[in-house]
Parts: sequence; structure tokens; C-alpha cells
Amino acid sequence: MAREATLAAPVARPLLSRRARELLTGYCYLIPVILALGGTVLFPILKAMQMSLYNHVLIKPQEYGYVGLANYARLLHDETFWLSLWNSFQWVFGSVLFQFLGGFAAALLLHQSFRGRALVRTVTLLPWIIPGVVVALIWEFIYQPNYGLLNDVLSRAGLMTERVAWLANPALAMPAVILTNIWRGVPFFAIMLLAGLQAIPGELYEAARVDGASVLQRFRFITLPMLKPIIVVATATRIVWTFNYADLIFVMTSGGPANATQITSTYTLLQAYSNLDFGYAATLSVALLLIMLAFTVFYLRLTRGLESVT
Amino acid sequence: MRRAPGLDWAERLLGGPVLWAGLGALTLFAVAPFVWVLLASFKTRAELYATPIVYLPAALSFANYVEAWTSRLTPFSRFFANSLWVSSVTMLGTTVVSILAGYALARFRFAGRQTFLLVFLATQMFPAVLLIAPLLSQWHALGLIDTYQALIYSNFSFTVPFTVWMLVGYFESIPRELEESAMLDGCTRFGSLCRIVLPLAAPGVAATAIFAFVASWSELLFAITFTSQTEMRTLSAGLLFMVGQYEIQWGQLSAGVIISTIPVAILFTYLQRHLIQGLSAGAVKG
Repeated sequence: MAREATLAAPVARPLLSRRARELLTGYCYLIPVILALGGTVLFPILKAMQMSLYNHVLIKPQEYGYVGLANYARLLHDETFWLSLWNSFQWVFGSVLFQFLGGFAAALLLHQSFRGRALVRTVTLLPWIIPGVVVALIWEFIYQPNYGLLNDVLSRAGLMTERVAWLANPALAMPAVILTNIWRGVPFFAIMLLAGLQAIPGELYEAARVDGASVLQRFRFITLPMLKPIIVVATATRIVWTFNYADLIFVMTSGGPANATQITSTYTLLQAYSNLDFGYAATLSVALLLIMLAFTVFYLRLTRGLESVT
Repeated sequence: MRRAPGLDWAERLLGGPVLWAGLGALTLFAVAPFVWVLLASFKTRAELYATPIVYLPAALSFANYVEAWTSRLTPFSRFFANSLWVSSVTMLGTTVVSILAGYALARFRFAGRQTFLLVFLATQMFPAVLLIAPLLSQWHALGLIDTYQALIYSNFSFTVPFTVWMLVGYFESIPRELEESAMLDGCTRFGSLCRIVLPLAAPGVAATAIFAFVASWSELLFAITFTSQTEMRTLSAGLLFMVGQYEIQWGQLSAGVIISTIPVAILFTYLQRHLIQGLSAGAVKG
């Protein structure tokens, strides 16, 4: 009874100020992500850097020990590493260039209105979404020398007299895996550029038409400049991604024949997976990381330069 | 007012023959490999290895599917179940983690916010091969080789950075005022996230969840390195394992390829619309 008689008791002052509580809640929301990425990205990367300083071959535990920069010295003298870098360049350049050109053409086509557009869009974008192993196996089957589709189609068309072993021929293996990667990556550029095309206001084209701009002029002076930011971002992410991507080549050729398709990421993978040479694999992966960091800084500089021009 | 001129010859050419020829070529390029494998999955052994090549199987035989699904050596039913479990749990975990993180980064202004965002962006640049050796020795030390936990936890390394990045964008596009008025009415932070923000961001959350599912469904390198027993293999690892067996059984393998493709193809038809919308929203902003 006595309690009811008291008038409005002062609200207890909170222990922390409102702002401090907000901050604390914010950090609490980040705990799960810190746990999720700390254990799978941050710690492993530090661990990889440490591993690269050790002789750590899983099947030779008696030789385990700190070796300083010996693995990096080995890297500099490893001809296969330098070959793999050159192969990586060909792989990235060939893949991304044709993925971009094909994807741009596809985006322009899919942007038009025609009957059955939704179906065509879904179907043409499918190669991008299916698992990498599946892509690799589908094309391995197509490239098969004796009962593969490609040899049969080419010889029926009269373009070929002798069966070709696409993936076993050192001169043809790289173009063959690049073609597979193009098939897989065209939809990525198509979907990115299609999104960009849809964001361009239609009035721009109408106004240009009224002013008598031809279709090529409209493409040159409206479509290209409007798409430029997307092109820059999409190309950069694709270059990094393709450089790091190992699944396709790993499944199709394992870097063979005679290292003809050995790119740096598959070489790293094979050192860890087949040779169980963790120390050297870690060294290679640190090198990969440094190369990509350098590329990104360079590319950002370049594109920032582009933005200031436009 | 000037009227827009009629179509010139270039536009007529581009809108007619070029469009149709281009669409035909594009569709053929995208679809032909699938059709070829689909046909192969129905062929008998004799038809598969015949010279000259047999294009159409004489009868629709599901023998390859049955064999692949029930095979003792490469049990696709088991692989399928493993993939389904690993991808579903990864999707669930990724979604919860990235909703919380995305919301915090979109709404709270705290020290280190920019650093966090930069780290998420940078993480997407890291090659998966970088993580293989350290993660393998880590899971080995924890006794997690041949467990689902190792695969699911490792998958976070590539799903979470992307989904957080996407969700920050979605959450920032939702007006703050809605939450502020809810909180004035006595709703807690967490309550307003669940009742106000999430329903509005549902399409974006669904799209990122599907992304996480599809990405882990495709994952290969972790799956082959962190498992060694047949019954722990996912579909991707199982397919590769099948190639390693004696000679390649293209009939069963084709059936396996189709089995692995169908779930992601279905999800993708849903995702496609949201993806293009989400991307063009981002394009307008950028």
C-alpha cells in the first residue's frame, strides 16, 4: 500500500549512456561474423604465412622445421612457377576478354523485347550457376577424341580429317580449357551488363533519336558511357576470380599435358593436394595473394583515373 | 515539336535478322552442351561408344540414373543427401550471421566500420587454394576431418563476405525512420530488426540465401580435401571421384551431372529475377 502512495519514482539512470549501449549492441551483432570468418579466413591466412617459412611436407615429418625464406628462394628458381604465371596470364586474358565480348552481345540481345524472353534469359544464364565440376565434365565429354561431340561436328562439317585429342595435345589444351571457361563466364557478364542496361533511362535514347542520332551513335555516346562503371567493376572482379579459379583446369587436365595448362592456382593446389608439400603450397599461395593485391591497387588507381576523366 | 524519324536501315537490320540470328547462336551455344549430356544420360553403353556417333538414343532408358543412384561404389543418393545437408546448413548459418552483421554495418556508426567493410570486400579476392593447406591442418588438429562441420564451417569463408556485402546495401536502402518510430513505440533494436526491417528486406535476404546455397552446392576443393570416406562426399566431390575410378563411365557420369544440375537450375530460375533487379538497383546507386 505504501508503495502505491509514492509519486513517480525517478527512473534509474542506466549504467551506460545511450550511445555507449548502441555501440555495444553494434559490436554484439558482429560477434557471429567475427567467429565465422576469423576461424576460416583470418586465422588460416596468418597460418599460411607462418607455414610458408617452414619445411612442411606431410609425408616427411622428420624433415619438418623452420627454414626462413628458403621456400621463397625456391619459388624464384622454380621454372614451373614462372611458366604457370605466364599460363595464368593467357588463361585470364583469353577467358575474360571473350567472356566480356560474348556477355556484352548477349546482354544487348536479351535486353530487346521478344516473345519467350524470360525463358531464353534463364536458359542462357544457366552455364554460370552449375557446379564447376559439372562444367568440366560436360566439356571433357565433348572434347573426347573418339566419341566426343566436337570432333564429330567438325568432321561432318568438313573442317577436320583426323580426330583430335583436344585435352591431350599441348598446343590445343589451353585454348580448349579457355573455351570451356568462356562458356561458363559469358552469363556472368551478360547478367551484370543486362542489369546496367535496364538502369539506363529510356528517355535518353528517345531524346537522341529525336535529335537524329543513329543507332551506332546512340550505342557509342549513351550505352557505353552509362555502362562504364559496371564494366570496370565486373571486369576487375572477373579478372581476380579467374586468376584464382582452379576447379575447371584441375578436373579437366590437372595442369597437363606437360604443364601446358598449369596455372598458378592449380600449381598451388597440386602442391598441397597431391604432393602434400604444405610449406611450398603456402609460399605459392602467399605469392598469389600478393600478385592479386598489387593488381587490385593498380586497377583501382587506373579506374579512379578513368572516373576523374569522365 | 520534331517527330522521331522512322527506323533507318541499320535499325531494321539489327532489330530483325541480326537479333534472331544472335539469339539463335546464343541459345545454341548455351544449351547444346546440356542437351548432349542429357541425351548421353539416356543412352545404352553400346550407343555411347558407337562409331559413327549415335546422336539420339533408341529408347529412353533410365538405367544410368538407377545405377548412379544406387551404385555401391559411387552412391549418388548418399552424395545428394550430403550436398543437400551441407548446403542447407551453410545457407542457414550464412543467412543468420550476415543479417546480424549486415544490419550492424548498415545502422550503427562505430569505429572500424570502414575497416570491416574493406575486409569483406578484400576477402572475396582471396584464392580458395590459399585456405586449403592451413584449413586442412586446422581441421586435422581439431579432429574434424570427414565431418559435415568442417565443410560447413569452411564454406562460410566464401559465402559470408559476399552476403554481408549484399545485405548492407539492402538494409541501407530501407528508410531509418520506420525503425525509429517503432523504437519510440517501445520496440527494441532486435525487435525492430525482426518486425520492420526483415519483412521489407525479404526478397534481398532470399536472394542472398539462395546464393549461399548454390555456392556451397558447387564447392569442390574443400569437399575433396577435407573428406576421405566415400560416404562423406558431396556431389561435386563424388563426380570427381567417379572420374578417378578405372575408366570413365560416361553413362552414369552424365546421369550424375544431370542430377547435380537440376536443384540449382530450379533455384536459379527464381534467383535470376531478383539478381537482375538487385544488381540494377546497385547500378543506379553506384
